[in-house]
Amino acid sequence: MIEVQHLTKQYGNVKAVRDVSFQVGTGQVIGLLGPNGAGKTTIMKILTGYHFPSSGTANIDGLSVEDYPEEIKKKIGYLPENAPSYGDLTPLEYLSFVAEARQIPKEKRQNRINEVMDQCSLQEVKNKPIETLSKGYRQRLGLAQAILHDPAILILDEPTTGLDPNQILEIRSLIRELGKSKTVILSTHILQEVEAVCSQVIIIHQGRIAAQGTSAEIGRTLKGQDSWHLELRGNLPEVLPQSFVFNHRTFIVQEQTRLDNGSLFIKVAYIDEPTGLPADPNAVGETLFDWVVAQGYKLCRMEHQKVSLEDIFVQLTKEGEDK
Amino acid sequence: MKGLSSQTVALAKKELYSALNSPATYGVWTFFLLFNSITFFYLQKFFSLDSATLRPYFSVIPLVYTLLIPAITMKSWAEERKTGTAELLLTMPFSEWDLVLGKFLSSLIILAIALVLTLAVPLSLFPLGNFDMGVIVSEYVGALLLGMAALALGLLFSSLAKNQISAFLGGVVVLLTVMLLNQLTSLMDLPKAIADILNYLSLAFHFESFAQGILDSRDMLFFILVTFLFLFINTRVLLFRKWR
Repeated sequence: MIEVQHLTKQYGNVKAVRDVSFQVGTGQVIGLLGPNGAGKTTIMKILTGYHFPSSGTANIDGLSVEDYPEEIKKKIGYLPENAPSYGDLTPLEYLSFVAEARQIPKEKRQNRINEVMDQCSLQEVKNKPIETLSKGYRQRLGLAQAILHDPAILILDEPTTGLDPNQILEIRSLIRELGKSKTVILSTHILQEVEAVCSQVIIIHQGRIAAQGTSAEIGRTLKGQDSWHLELRGNLPEVLPQSFVFNHRTFIVQEQTRLDNGSLFIKVAYIDEPTGLPADPNAVGETLFDWVVAQGYKLCRMEHQKVSLEDIFVQLTKEGEDK
Repeated sequence: MKGLSSQTVALAKKELYSALNSPATYGVWTFFLLFNSITFFYLQKFFSLDSATLRPYFSVIPLVYTLLIPAITMKSWAEERKTGTAELLLTMPFSEWDLVLGKFLSSLIILAIALVLTLAVPLSLFPLGNFDMGVIVSEYVGALLLGMAALALGLLFSSLAKNQISAFLGGVVVLLTVMLLNQLTSLMDLPKAIADILNYLSLAFHFESFAQGILDSRDMLFFILVTFLFLFINTRVLLFRKWR
């Protein structure tokens, strides 16, 4: 259980994190999402005890990170940004050192190191100096180092940077697997990663939490809305009206463009039912179809576009900059 | 201050392993042996002294330490900070003392090996005259104690510096100052109180009694306290960085 209350961290005059509060329970995979420099890494550094907060508290299983640093460090596995490691050692030597530093009993060390090297596919490079390894291997070694002592909490700072697409998929499935029994906090600026791996998302912008929840929840509570992309032909007016009402539903035409093939592309949004409940996309789609038919247009394409985390992210982070 | 924990030993082992796999360490040892021997046999002309003493050999120790010690310690913290591995060490369940003592222990072993290697000189000279074994033991004890204090200072500089070079240069300048502070008192006619203070602060001054074959408990205590003090400050530097 991780509890963060009104956390603020100031580096000189720069406030890297401002009044951040959140909670993470066991078995959750939380994604810290934000542009570079948003404060994700700082939050992680505080949780791992590398930095102390300027104000506010961070507790792990009820223990404050400032007052019980050693107990907390035992519970946490941490992969820092860029997965630093000792270039002159080999993965095997490096993991042996970590195992000893983490006080894994001597008789269990070798087995555990082998297990973790299998999990992170490191066996084939275990005797090569780390400085000669590719970024992908170093990143996986960093992850191996973090999970070696089987911690209850995993904190991963951009775990998939520098990996190729196959490795990214492998690491994501490994994180999902680990997330079943552990609390995982990972930071990323890759949106698909959050959607692929995390059960909860915290969007951080300029040191503050801009949004929090499952990606669907964030989509709903924020101004994000589903839209429909339509391609129309036939007897069309030069320009369609900005909005229209059909079957008691009001639609807004957000975009309309004439395509090279002569069709008219329109992006239509529909907000909510008069009851205030979220609209059933199928019903709304049917209404739109009926509208097209009623107008005598020809429908070439119709696509339902769900609100994506990407849209919300762009929206949120842009808003912050305007302020 | 805690005793040597298993974690201190783990870190010291890793540091030592890296040091012994690095050509730089062998370069440092070679430099140390060559510098001492060249001064002893050529500059101070040991064989024409016609005296069975290693005092000239040990008299250059404070000077050569000003280069040797920073060369041993420069990497320890500065490199960890540069490569980001400091973040790993500081987020593993080490206490600040575990870390500082681990680094200190491995540096001390590197220095001790350097001193053991110099045994070749007395061992090859023993058949040539009646050397006083007691004096030589005292000289080695002194060299080790002086080295401990200087290593603690060098490590502190490495923890303050952003990179190895500034750790080395800072270490050289400060060690040169504290080693040779007592030279000021012989060069200048200073009031006795000031001269006494300068002498007291000079590491080389406290080494003199060992070089003469006297195991003075006050000087031993001085070196141990200085070592402890700088190691303590080092732990505070690590802690302070969390607040910065």
